[in-house]
Amino acid sequence: MSQDAAAAPRVSASPERAGRSRTPLQLAWRRLRRYRLAVVGGVTLVCLYAAMVLAPFLAPYALDYSDRSLFYAPPVGVHLIDARGRLHLRPFVYAYRVVDASLPAYAPDTSRTYDIRFFVHGAPYRLLWLVPSDIHLLGVDSPARLFLLGTDQFGRDLLSRLLYGSAVSLLIGILVVLITFPIGMILGGIAGYYGGIIDNVIMRSVEVLAAFPSFYLLLTLASVLPPTLSSGARLFMISAVFSFVGWGGLARVLRGIVLGIRDVEFVLAARAAGLPDLRVIVRHVLPTTASYVIVAATLTIPGVILGESGLSFLGLGVQEPSTSWGLLLAQAQSIEALTQFPWLLIPGLLIVIAVLAFNFLGDGVRDALDPRQRVA
Amino acid sequence: MRGSALIALVTLVAAAFGLPGVGAATAPHPSLPGLPDPKVMTGQPGRYGGVFLDSQQSDPSTFNPILANSTSSTGPLANVFDGLVEANGKTTDIEPGLAESWTVSKDGRTWTFTLRQGLQWADGAPVTADDVLFTFQVVYDKRIPNSAADVLKVAGQPIEVTKVNARTVQFHTAEPFGPFLREIGNASLIPQHVLRKAYDAGQFNQTWGVNTPPSQIVGTGPYKITEYRPAQRIVYDRNPHYWKVDMRGQRLPYIDHIVLTIVPNQNALRLLFQGGQADSYGVRPAEYAEFARGARAGNYTVYDGGPSFGSEFLTFNQNTASGMPGYKLRWFQAQKFRQAVSYAIDRQAIINQVYAGHAVPEYGPESPADKFFFDPHTMQYPYNLQKAAAVLAEAGFKKGTDGVLRDADGHAVQFVITTNADNPDRVAIGNIIRQDLTALGMQVTFAPEAFNTLVAKLTDSFKWEALVLGLTGGIEPADGQNVWKSSGSLHMWYPRQAKPATPWEAEIDRYFDLAATTVDQNRRRDYYNQWQEIVAEQVPLIYTAIPHAYVAVRNKFGNIEFTAFGGPFWNFPVIYIK
Repeated sequence: MSQDAAAAPRVSASPERAGRSRTPLQLAWRRLRRYRLAVVGGVTLVCLYAAMVLAPFLAPYALDYSDRSLFYAPPVGVHLIDARGRLHLRPFVYAYRVVDASLPAYAPDTSRTYDIRFFVHGAPYRLLWLVPSDIHLLGVDSPARLFLLGTDQFGRDLLSRLLYGSAVSLLIGILVVLITFPIGMILGGIAGYYGGIIDNVIMRSVEVLAAFPSFYLLLTLASVLPPTLSSGARLFMISAVFSFVGWGGLARVLRGIVLGIRDVEFVLAARAAGLPDLRVIVRHVLPTTASYVIVAATLTIPGVILGESGLSFLGLGVQEPSTSWGLLLAQAQSIEALTQFPWLLIPGLLIVIAVLAFNFLGDGVRDALDPRQRVA
Repeated sequence: MRGSALIALVTLVAAAFGLPGVGAATAPHPSLPGLPDPKVMTGQPGRYGGVFLDSQQSDPSTFNPILANSTSSTGPLANVFDGLVEANGKTTDIEPGLAESWTVSKDGRTWTFTLRQGLQWADGAPVTADDVLFTFQVVYDKRIPNSAADVLKVAGQPIEVTKVNARTVQFHTAEPFGPFLREIGNASLIPQHVLRKAYDAGQFNQTWGVNTPPSQIVGTGPYKITEYRPAQRIVYDRNPHYWKVDMRGQRLPYIDHIVLTIVPNQNALRLLFQGGQADSYGVRPAEYAEFARGARAGNYTVYDGGPSFGSEFLTFNQNTASGMPGYKLRWFQAQKFRQAVSYAIDRQAIINQVYAGHAVPEYGPESPADKFFFDPHTMQYPYNLQKAAAVLAEAGFKKGTDGVLRDADGHAVQFVITTNADNPDRVAIGNIIRQDLTALGMQVTFAPEAFNTLVAKLTDSFKWEALVLGLTGGIEPADGQNVWKSSGSLHMWYPRQAKPATPWEAEIDRYFDLAATTVDQNRRRDYYNQWQEIVAEQVPLIYTAIPHAYVAVRNKFGNIEFTAFGGPFWNFPVIYIK
């Protein structure tokens, strides 16, 4: 059945604005906004992606900056009232004092306060690879350090690295969807539309692919990547690896959907009108699968984020000094890190948040696009 | 059994009480009935009785000391069998063991050992020269796979063993053999009267498997096995015929039983210790902080044995068969390049961040834990970026205005460091080195890989540029000849050379050969000092830091003298429960 046919009874079902009819997309948007969790998920994602774009500006320190005397430093305390009980108008921090370098143990040096200042000059960077700048949102004067989420084993600021690392974790899902979905849709569409030998060949190759344990296939492919790749190229290659593993399932489902609608009237009409096959597939058949594809995409992205985390956790994903949330989480593997330096688990929290946000949004989108669902 | 110890409560000199450090030679010699010349162990007089709670990862695969080749099998047998001589855990010197004395002929090829009088196996049978002969017959038997045979071959020849009389045996080597004493001590003596029949029937490889009734496993060590439950525990009882006494002349060991609990992994070992079901635990440097903090509450002491024997290093590929472009090979073959890298490594950062501050910087191939062979006068490379840049400039490297280091021909210095990803210490060291070398303008990629991939590159394809790796070391430098001789298979930077590629590698070969065929230990030390100085100057392996060895031991024992070489229990027979 076509979407127009499904949308028709809905227009009459919303009598409060009888004068204006709405497109199915508008209706879906309206329904989506009523799913509180989906909205929360969406807003969260907008924030995460905005932070990703502005990472060099938001991060107090550069990606590879390290203070070697302050490794495993806990998050710095932000205060308004100093040691003598005076209220400050600006939030401030104390410098770290090394109590015992071998534990390591640090205490704030309360003899002097360092105001947190805004729009300070720091390490130079290029925003979006274009705008050169050295302004950072937050900063403090040396020797104090603004390690808001603490530091890692090498004395690097966790917050800054989380912000820089978000680029890999958040982009890889989208990249994979951009590569996988066109391939999966076209191949699935062709297989379902033509059937016969073509269908057989494509589906059998999908099965061959599915017969490999996918995570081990990923490991194998990732391990043959040359180590000298730049971090951008590496990100793209890893996405290609994920796409190589991931297109099969999508192609299979789409083939099933297409098989079900290739003999429906509007498709037959398009063919009768003499349109070339590819045009029929792309313009008339595939659009009917849109609701499935959008949902599948929002649910694929978190899977890829987790997959990349797994690869990086095992040392096969991105490489130092670039980072990703998975690689950052890999530092929290040992019992010591868990018990003594719990702030190293924050990357895991962010992965959970991003994955949940995508899932909530995906659920909401699926319900919103489902013509059989009705919002009360 | 306690009776014999009481009889021995002789008129033992008062001086020995006040001076526990004094060797047995100065005190009048105690003796036991039937054992006129036992070995005296120094230490405070202790109490008899009690149980020692030991633990280890994984089950033993055999109780046969000749066939045992993994630590899970050799560990449980350490207190059951002995060698002719033994290394002192504190001084690392070779001391008499089952043999009370030995002489060496002038040409350094004939060694004569005299067994202690009255030695007995745990079942009461006498220990004789025939047992020694039998042991070496088994070791050199080609049908019996054992690791001792390899190290006990001199110039490819087995050592000839002949019996002089019931207590005297003679060893004859094809050439003078420098490490002879240390290697001979590693061979555990086995009883002919128990194993001869099986050996003659060609069934030695099936003897003393883990399902043998423990009472049949007979050694000369301080304990005998009384019970083994796979995946649960091994229980030991005191050997009433043991041949060592304390300074009052009472027969050792003090502790009655050992219960060794078997667990599947490192975390379980740790939990066992923290739960009070094990008396010691090998603390990794990363765990040190936590254990040091919990020492009082857990009623244990974390011993710091000083530098250990293992060490991590960075090495560059100098192999002409590596398939690297010629200019890269020339960087890595340049002594100045390697020296500059050594100056640029912030060893203090490695010590602090990887080893929690408990390590010492290392510049040469021998650990300071090896008190005899360590040469403190080798060249050192304290962290100094200016110096590193200056040394690079001498070799023609220049840092451009873009901050990139280039060689004299304009090639940007760019290479990949790898290591095995499953070793967090090495990954951390690699990261610190990467950051340090970036400061010199080198473009370094750090790419840890799976261990097997790395080994394949190291031994087969040679397609690597730089590596962070580690080696475990020991007292005897000759054991490292597969690393240091240019023909060695572990000569990582250019293995299995037909003839030495460089004059300094030829020099090292020469000193190793000289030291192996010299018996005078002081001359051997001179040769090995030469080797250490050459290595420190040429830096084929750029050493980083040597971590300290830690062991946590419950505070219930007396006479513990912890050392990196011997650990906390090298003098186990005199250790007692307070």
